[in-house]
Order: sequence, then structure tokens, then C-alpha cells
Amino acid sequence: MTEADGPTRVLPNAEPAPVASRAADAREAAARRWVVEHGDILWKFALSRTRSKEAAEEIVQETVLAAMQGFGTFAGGSSERTWLLGIAANKIADHFRRVRRAKSPSSPGISPDATCGCATCRGMFTEKGMWACVARRWPDVSVSEAEKSEQAGALRACIDALPPGQSEAVWLRDILGIPASEVCKAMGLTDTNLWSRMHRARVALRSCLETKFGLRKEKGQ
Amino acid sequence: MIRFVRDVVRVLTLPCREHVVLFSRQLDAPLSRGEAFGLRLHIVYCGGCSRFRAHLSHLQTLGRTLAEQTENEPGLPADVRERLNARVARASKKN
Repeated sequence: MTEADGPTRVLPNAEPAPVASRAADAREAAARRWVVEHGDILWKFALSRTRSKEAAEEIVQETVLAAMQGFGTFAGGSSERTWLLGIAANKIADHFRRVRRAKSPSSPGISPDATCGCATCRGMFTEKGMWACVARRWPDVSVSEAEKSEQAGALRACIDALPPGQSEAVWLRDILGIPASEVCKAMGLTDTNLWSRMHRARVALRSCLETKFGLRKEKGQ
Repeated sequence: MIRFVRDVVRVLTLPCREHVVLFSRQLDAPLSRGEAFGLRLHIVYCGGCSRFRAHLSHLQTLGRTLAEQTENEPGLPADVRERLNARVARASKKN
């Protein structure tokens, strides 16, 4: 008997586990690792968006279970964390679609194309595409942390009012700072889809913040 | 060089409605050198676009603040983690 015979001595009757069982074990091990390594960020993301512990828990569970089902489809190119956040973003968007449908079929949210009240203008611009109204200077955030924190709170409320899909893209891209190419992969969007979604969202956020800063009147006021 | 000049001229002749699209895209993907230079030239004389770009960078600053606030929030609570692991185990047995 040599050293190389060691393993057969330790497990003389061991039989190789069936392939399906090994795959299930690997999937479960991966899911447990995701909970340890990415559970906190998934929870914070879901809770920040939904502000409900019950809804956040459901979203995190659905995310991990969906990732388990798609285990092996993760092709790299983005980090595992971004992949999971992308699944969570789609679950959050689905959650809000369900909630809004249940609440009101025509929930107004915020206008993506804020108007300045000019009869011939299309949103921020004249028919020729020039500025219709003079953009105002925003309150300075560098003066105090309290001001910055207050404005960040206003931004959070404005993001909440965006349509589902836009707010999740803003969270991934502009809040969590995930590179655009990774957000595209994670949310299943093309570059052009993401650019136009982000542009509409940023214009709507700008308009919403101006209203909150008291620099713009709501339409119809 | 020809492409650079062509892009600068194209950007300078666009209406402001298209400039704001480019300002936003610049945050997600690099523009060509000519497009970026054309935008820089444009905001020298266009108050509306200059202010719009300032608003975008203000939004980015607030986004970073919101990220810091989120980072400081508590992570996955122990009871939620426990239920999540139990659900993972059940799902694993089912498949």
C-alpha cells in the first residue's frame, strides 16, 4: 500500500454522487454564498426602493431563488453582484408594477417632460428645439452637510416617483455606480435602451427636484 | 482630423434638445473627441445647456450622498437571513 492509495483507504465503499445531486449541491452552496456575500446589498437595495421589510424580504428571496434557477447561465462579463442586483432590479420593477396596477391604473408619477407653461413649447423646448424657459440655479449643496442630506432625501422621493424600470436603472447606474455596460447586461437592455431610459429619468428627476426646491410650479398650478 | 471637425460641426449645429441627450449619454458612454469638444464649445455661449449640465452633475453629487446613506443602513437582519437560507434549502430539495 502506498501513499497514493490513501483516499480509497479512507472511503473504501464511497460511490460517486449522481450528477444531478452534485449539481443541486453546487447550486445550494452557491446560493448560500450569495446570501453571505451579497445578502446585505440586495437587502439595502430592496428596502431602499420598497421601504417595506416584508416586500424587501420577498424580493430578496425571489432574487436568490431566480438566481438558483439560472445557475450556470451567469456568463461573466459583469460581476456576480451586478448579476444578482440586475435580477433584484427586475423583481423590484415587477413589484411596483403590481402595486401600481392594484392602486390606480393611471398613477401619475412625475412628468418625464416637464413643461414651462408655454403654449407652443414641447416640454423644456420650443418647437425648434431651443430652450423654452431659463433653467434656474439650484441651492448649493457644498454649504452644509444638512442641506446635502435634505436634498438627497428629496432625490430619493423623486426616484420613487419614476416609472418602474426607470427607478431601478437609476439606482444601479447613478446611485450604486455600476458601469453602464454591466447595467445593460444585468437588466437585459441594449446600450441605446439604457441611454434613453437614463436620459428620460434624469430629465424627470431634474424637473421633480426643481418642484421640490420651489423653483418650478407643478403643471396646472 | 476630418472626423473630429465633422463631429464638432455636427454637434454645434444641433438644437439644444439634442445637446441635453448628449450630456446625459456622456455620463454612460464616452462620446467621440469631436462630439465632446463640440459640447464644451456650445456651453460657452448657451446658458440653458450650461445650467442643464450643472444640474446633471448636481444630481450625480446627490446620488453619491444617497449611496453613502444607503451604505450606512443596516444589512440583512438575522431572522430574514435565516428564513432565506431555509427557503434556499427547500428549493434545493425540490429540484
